[in-house]
Amino acid sequence: MPDSPIIQVRNLTIQYGSLVVLRDVSFDVYKGEIFVILGGSGCGKSTLMKAIIGLVKPSAGSIIIDGADFTSVRGSERQAVLRKFGVLFQSGGLFASMTLAENVALPLETYTSLNNDRIMQLVDIKLASVGLSGYQNFLPSEISGGMRKRAGLARAMALDPHILGFDEPSAGLDPITSAALDQLIIRLNETLQTTMLVVTHELDSIFAIAHRIIMLDREVKGIIAEGDPRELKEHSTDRRVLNFFNRVVETSEEA
Amino acid sequence: MSTPAAASNDYLSYSVEDTQLSLVLLKPITVYTAGAYDEAAQSLSQMEGLTLLVADFSKVREYDSYLAVLVDLIDAACGKRGIQVEYIGMSESMERFLASLKAADQARNDAAADVSAWRSSLEHIGEFTLRLGRDTRDFVEFFGELVYKLLLLLPRPGLIRWKDFPFVFTRAGVDAVPIVVLIGFLIGLIIGYQGAVQLKQFGADIYLADMIGVSITRELGPLMTAIIVAGRSGAAFAAEIGTMKVSEEIDALKSLGFDIMRFLVMPRVLAVMLAVPFLTLFADVAGILGGLLTGLMTLDLTLTGFFNQLQQALTYSHVFSGVLKSVVFGFLIATMGCFRGLQVFGGAESVGKYTTAAVVSGIFLIIFVDAIFAFVFQVLDI
Repeated sequence: MPDSPIIQVRNLTIQYGSLVVLRDVSFDVYKGEIFVILGGSGCGKSTLMKAIIGLVKPSAGSIIIDGADFTSVRGSERQAVLRKFGVLFQSGGLFASMTLAENVALPLETYTSLNNDRIMQLVDIKLASVGLSGYQNFLPSEISGGMRKRAGLARAMALDPHILGFDEPSAGLDPITSAALDQLIIRLNETLQTTMLVVTHELDSIFAIAHRIIMLDREVKGIIAEGDPRELKEHSTDRRVLNFFNRVVETSEEA
Repeated sequence: MSTPAAASNDYLSYSVEDTQLSLVLLKPITVYTAGAYDEAAQSLSQMEGLTLLVADFSKVREYDSYLAVLVDLIDAACGKRGIQVEYIGMSESMERFLASLKAADQARNDAAADVSAWRSSLEHIGEFTLRLGRDTRDFVEFFGELVYKLLLLLPRPGLIRWKDFPFVFTRAGVDAVPIVVLIGFLIGLIIGYQGAVQLKQFGADIYLADMIGVSITRELGPLMTAIIVAGRSGAAFAAEIGTMKVSEEIDALKSLGFDIMRFLVMPRVLAVMLAVPFLTLFADVAGILGGLLTGLMTLDLTLTGFFNQLQQALTYSHVFSGVLKSVVFGFLIATMGCFRGLQVFGGAESVGKYTTAAVVSGIFLIIFVDAIFAFVFQVLDI
């Protein structure tokens, strides 16, 4: 393992009303690793990610982030935990009325006492590190989808979070842009040692970036596989896991 | 060489030997501790007679991107004064981290040289003028296309999508009746009060009916109604069509071979053209009643006296000139709303921007065209 656990999910159950999405889910994410949550549509992977970053309240269980139980902390303690996260949402989540520089500067202006020059210097570094030098004054509507995602990533990294979350980073991107984003994730993980938590079902991305994965299943409402995706693809004895990694569609007769 | 007054603070300790300053950084170097390091760097930059600065990072356990900024600060301050800098005690991961940030910083500097963000005020004025010119040209084009297609469809009105017409007419017309009546009544009341004060001085109380009748039916009724409709329906059309544009519904319609003018614009324009004259008549009646109430309350007017005088003062041309104007206003409001909606691109911010533009330019157009009407009616003695 790369290091000690930075995220510990224990016996987590999430439900919307009477509909149980995940039941009794437990796993660890270690410092500095790229951890992928995968599974078919509707298996609850985005819900799990949202619970980990505090957007969905679990019905039971605990999520311990760097030693603090995120499900029970309140007020300033919760703020401190939240600041350990940076999240790249599916569409980038940039504020449309702000330029890229203003988007990235926003967390720095809000949470630090840095003066404007220092903030702009950091903003420039963040944008440059995702390959968007020179786009400071562009509005999100003036750049492509892939660039919006990279700008969203620059904003997510503004406060140098310990954990970076990615919700379907490849969604809506062409294979080249998607592969470039994967490379960026790997490079940032290697250079910044940031823990990456990625939700995706793109197999190419999974094999390119993941150190470890957990696979969720809609029927089980929980984890059906955990480990290195390359090993799971070759050696798993679970038919559902093999089907997923080998893109096999079972007809109802076969099933 | 001057010796520093203090040898350390919470964030760094330092010692001076000859012309060498040795710094030991003690605390995390993060965006949250940046202020303290900035201050420390500031005070050190005042020191004189140095030739070498040795910064020791071995005690730093936590750092983030601010590390690059701090190193940059030290480099810049020392470089300016010809002081050599040596960084020691950096862990391998810290060096790797710093190298990646410096690479990014270099890319930033290269790009900054290529792409200049600076724009002069003159450029802004030029851009604004160009945008205004383009905007006017686009509107004239849109206006021309709409009129042309409306004329083409006159002999075949069945080709217009009438399904939306009752819905738009209800929303733009029927739903607006209460607010139009209320505003019309209050305008009549206000004009009545202002007029009554003046007229009373000359004993010309009875002419309040003339003043209210003519001003409301010719000008204020159509104008106030049009402004209300621009605020309600012009904005609604722009937001509705703009959101459709953002969510690619317009593209989908086009790809299905629909003519946007026929499918979206014409039903709205025709419905508003029909609704605004009716609303104007409601506003006229409400305004006159507002004026009447003032006359009854503040002047010695009787109900019969007021209406007799009103009958003499008001001619069909007064009422119809107002109604005619309101048809044109309705056309302009709906056209501008749809035009602005179709200009939307990007996201939510753009919808807001063009919705505002629909109302502002709609009201401007109404008043501009009203001025033209005033001139034409005077020339034609209407």
